Amino acid sequence: MLKGAMKIKLSVIAAAALAVCAASLLVGPRFISPFHMSGLEKEIVLSIRLPRMVVSVLMGLGLGASGAVLQGVLRNPLADPYILGISSGAALTAALGIIAGLSFWGIITIPLLAFAGALITGVFVGAMGWKRGGFLPERLLLAGVGLGFLFSAMLMLLMSVSSDEGLRRATLWIFGDLSIADWSVIPYGLLFIVLGFIIALYRAKALNALILGDDLSHSLGFSPGRERFILFIAVGLMTAASVSLGGMIGFIGLLVPHMGRFLVSADNRVLIPLSAAGGGALLCVADLIGRTVIPPVELPAGIITALIGAPYFLYLLRRRDVLGI
Amino acid sequence: MASDTTILDFDRVQFSYERHRPLIRDMSFFVGNGEFIGLLGANGSGKSTVLKIAGGILTAFEGRVNLWGRALGGYRNRDRAKLLSYLPQILDMNIPFTVEEIVSMGLYPYDIRPSLTEDEALGMVGLREKAGEPIRNLSGGERRRVYIAMTLLQGAGLVLMDEPLANLDIKYQVELLRLLKALRNERGITVVMALHDIHMAMQFERIILIKEGRIIGTGSPQVVLSREALREAFDVDAEVRIDEAGGTYLRC
Repeated sequence: MLKGAMKIKLSVIAAAALAVCAASLLVGPRFISPFHMSGLEKEIVLSIRLPRMVVSVLMGLGLGASGAVLQGVLRNPLADPYILGISSGAALTAALGIIAGLSFWGIITIPLLAFAGALITGVFVGAMGWKRGGFLPERLLLAGVGLGFLFSAMLMLLMSVSSDEGLRRATLWIFGDLSIADWSVIPYGLLFIVLGFIIALYRAKALNALILGDDLSHSLGFSPGRERFILFIAVGLMTAASVSLGGMIGFIGLLVPHMGRFLVSADNRVLIPLSAAGGGALLCVADLIGRTVIPPVELPAGIITALIGAPYFLYLLRRRDVLGI
Repeated sequence: MASDTTILDFDRVQFSYERHRPLIRDMSFFVGNGEFIGLLGANGSGKSTVLKIAGGILTAFEGRVNLWGRALGGYRNRDRAKLLSYLPQILDMNIPFTVEEIVSMGLYPYDIRPSLTEDEALGMVGLREKAGEPIRNLSGGERRRVYIAMTLLQGAGLVLMDEPLANLDIKYQVELLRLLKALRNERGITVVMALHDIHMAMQFERIILIKEGRIIGTGSPQVVLSREALREAFDVDAEVRIDEAGGTYLRC
């Protein structure tokens, strides 16, 4: 499956991703040399920069892979968990859980609530966009954007009736601010993202076939409805984990799979891991830019990804082959 | 009558999406191994539905559909995919797969790679040099051939094609028919193709003429496509004539 040229491209991309991760540990308001680290600098790296890097890699990984899966399942290159309102759905149920103080399954309660929100939103948007045996791109998009607005308004409502400290944290969280990252949230995020990623990768062939359309995927020996359901679960797990880890970050799931297809391959057996790695690296870069571009102010990473991703989304909208009009 | 060489057997099949509005009514026919069959009828006559039932995509409400003597619904999806493939009328997508990536999907039903390679399958449809190109760069006729290469790799002996000639220039229509006939002769595939073009129907050894979900004639096109049958199936007063050179034309 992997040819020589593809192996070289993947090796270069993997090396670049690792370099970005290393840079995010060393670069910041204070540059830290890996060769001469003081006790304080070690503390900064291990307690602040490393968890932040791990969270951004995990989130980017989940969002990048989710984007690749969603674009395939919905046969729509504009799909992204943020644009389709899935992130907002996850954020809303998670915020409801936080404000209501729910903890019936212990610390995993909030990620599970976010998962339920992501899944319900994904299924609802999919149902709204489904007509005559297929997904209509413009209906999907409008349903997602409409629901996103509704959920964002409800989130704002929740924030405006919550306490001052809660409001500040929630605002930062919604805009995808990674400065609130710490080690405590990582294990659950890791569990959900790894689970979703394994499911997605295991069903990558089915995803390829779904892109050809339901009838062809059936002809190739798959059950389209069953495969779509399994893949939606994978997207729900990864998006919920990302939102629980650091809030809503948009456009990673849109941008990275497009770059992956352009640079390497549209085959999801390659594209899903590639989008995961690329998403992790891109969010690391966005966070790095956010905390170094106008010191001492730290811009949330979500703002940086939106500044890069939104113009690309508008460019895609103008392409004839994207909406089929 | 079904025989040992019968691949597909429809026995009194009924189907409808809505109650009291049957789309397929009491339909019985069989497809023999190596046949080249045209399923002919006007738009809305039920051709696509028949092919989807034959492909296992839709399930008959009543009657039996057998594939190689066994109930079609009794096959596991992957096992069925090794025996028959269905190519829909519309083959569009907006994800940029390359030609080779699409052809290689023909291997998905298999754990062990069959003897035919992607390169050989593409060679058989004359697209070897286009393997690395995005499929969206190809013409409509070439795209059809890519999916036929996928079917060859899939190894399915029975290929069901829904209106593959629609929206193709006459040049590509003729090329596609020649290619399919050559593949039938070389690899023994059986083809059942839905179509509504009477001229193209003359190229088939056997046609099944349908109207409003019922078979109104089956046999060689020269015999079936009588003036009366054309009037009944297409509501048109026309006649198929054979000229001195053996060519056929439609006299309206």
